[in-house]
Amino acid sequence: MSAEIESAQARTQKLEGLGTRRKRVEDARFTQGKGNYIDDLKLPGMLFGDFVRSPYGHARVKSINKEAALELPGVKAVLTADDLKPLKLHWMPTLAGDVQAVLADEKVLFQGQEVAFVVAEDRYIAADAVDLVEVEYEELPALVDPTKSMAADAPVLRDDLKDKTSGAHGPRKHHNHVFTWEVGDAEGTARAVRDAAVVAKERIVYQRVHPCPLETCGCVASMDKVNGHLTMWGTFQAPHAVRTVASLISGIPEHKIRIISPDIGGGFGNKVGVYPGYICSIVASIVLGVPVKWVEDRMENLQATAFARDYHMTGEIAATREGRITGLRCHVLADHGAFDTCADPTKYPGRVLQHLHRLLRHPGRARDGRRRLHQQGAGRRRIPLLVPGDGGVLFHRADDRRPGAQARSRPGRNPPPQPNPQRAVSLPIGAQRGIRQRRLSDCA
Amino acid sequence: MAKMHIALRVNNRQVETLAEPRMLLIHLLREELGITGPHIGCDTSHCGACTVDMNGKSVKSCTVFAAQAHGAEIITIEGLAGADGSLHPLQEAFREHHGLQCGFCTPGMITRAYRLLQENPNPSEAEIRHGIAGNLCRCTGYQTIVRAIRAAAERLNMPKEAAE
Repeated sequence: MSAEIESAQARTQKLEGLGTRRKRVEDARFTQGKGNYIDDLKLPGMLFGDFVRSPYGHARVKSINKEAALELPGVKAVLTADDLKPLKLHWMPTLAGDVQAVLADEKVLFQGQEVAFVVAEDRYIAADAVDLVEVEYEELPALVDPTKSMAADAPVLRDDLKDKTSGAHGPRKHHNHVFTWEVGDAEGTARAVRDAAVVAKERIVYQRVHPCPLETCGCVASMDKVNGHLTMWGTFQAPHAVRTVASLISGIPEHKIRIISPDIGGGFGNKVGVYPGYICSIVASIVLGVPVKWVEDRMENLQATAFARDYHMTGEIAATREGRITGLRCHVLADHGAFDTCADPTKYPGRVLQHLHRLLRHPGRARDGRRRLHQQGAGRRRIPLLVPGDGGVLFHRADDRRPGAQARSRPGRNPPPQPNPQRAVSLPIGAQRGIRQRRLSDCA
Repeated sequence: MAKMHIALRVNNRQVETLAEPRMLLIHLLREELGITGPHIGCDTSHCGACTVDMNGKSVKSCTVFAAQAHGAEIITIEGLAGADGSLHPLQEAFREHHGLQCGFCTPGMITRAYRLLQENPNPSEAEIRHGIAGNLCRCTGYQTIVRAIRAAAERLNMPKEAAE
């Protein structure tokens, strides 16, 4: 009798609902080598692009001589910022409301920055041609320590932003400052810390990390001159952003641009940003009238694409002698690299603080309504185009913490401590959405 | 640059081509022969995405010149399935045990595991981990890959043990 009755497990499996093992559709292809990743794409007449990159963290580009490269058989074009300038293509908007150089415009700001784009019949010839492009640099002092970036005598990194007085979240206070962002009740937190029986203070460095997907970034751009349509295949985690930027800088309307993300070999956020390789491939395809592929190698991926973290944090916990938390304060200095290309999909700059929120909600940790959180200068430093190692440059977002400062920038978003601690520290969902919308409109 | 004549067997098929002496095996396979299963992940023989089987050994084809493969017998991920299209037990096991996510490391990983199971048909978990140490995966954390290889080993050993 019992043999005729299905076990609960068997019934669940038959229903194919939650908790059952499912085979993924795509795995049949992937396990047979039938994936379609960007470098698998091959179009008739397709050329291959490669970059001449800066060996310096900060330098003036004095001259670029591309004659020898152009004489090499198989080389079709060598593009520099000077070639893009008449078309206004040498700078492009970033997802954070900043701009970034497509090809170095007079200065390089990080080691590995794109200086010239070589287009050739295959990747071997392109690599040869990269070696033949002669670039003369005048080395300038590089900034590699975020804690020194806002010193009065720190070198000016971005000449184009030198006199700009406002950043993404308020006034800029130094020529290397990106933005300051804060949430919480500054006064209440200061009071809680001042009056606490115990204050634990710690400086924590959360080192820079690189997503390092196994497949590097790349694309194929194909401009159809007859009907004016641009088709882009690429390692795009955010295809719509790529379409918007491609349209903004090329002038091709969005409805004539088709963006295709084929199988992607991992992303982890690294493939959200819009990289100069995409734009240079589009330009090359328009100029040469054939499809152009660009796929970076691993060193390029690590040097010149999005990294994350690089937080220099000071955290304070105010508590009673019994171990009850009465206040939290955290100050974060984040290195945003040469160009602020931060692409946090939530547009909530202080992501690190969300973890603290959760901690506070833990019933075992805190149950009283007096917890407060005051964060200054949080920086979700997600995607700066950047440079590790020596010579890396850095342009940051930074902040000075002013004791007793008002929770200033966002009236209405920083309610005073409430009986419900969650209310006191959370940014309302609507506010997050508001920020996102504003950032996208900045971009447009 | 003068090209060299290169003849080799790839997945049981005899192929002949001309290639520059500096051309890498991975580019010969991918660009000239259209065998795009093996991938390029690092160009520096660290990641193993380009792993193929050459004369009975796992090699990283991004650090082998195409000319070195002259006369060689190459097996890539495309050559593992049966002639009737049936998947190799390793391919089945990777599907079954979710031994992949983005799939970029998978061809190299399975091709390496294919050779590993011939070198050691019944590897322990530690031996599997050691055996695939040259293949990097950024998605799975390796747990499911190890489980898949172990499951495939058991299945491959089954008929023999059953016969005994």
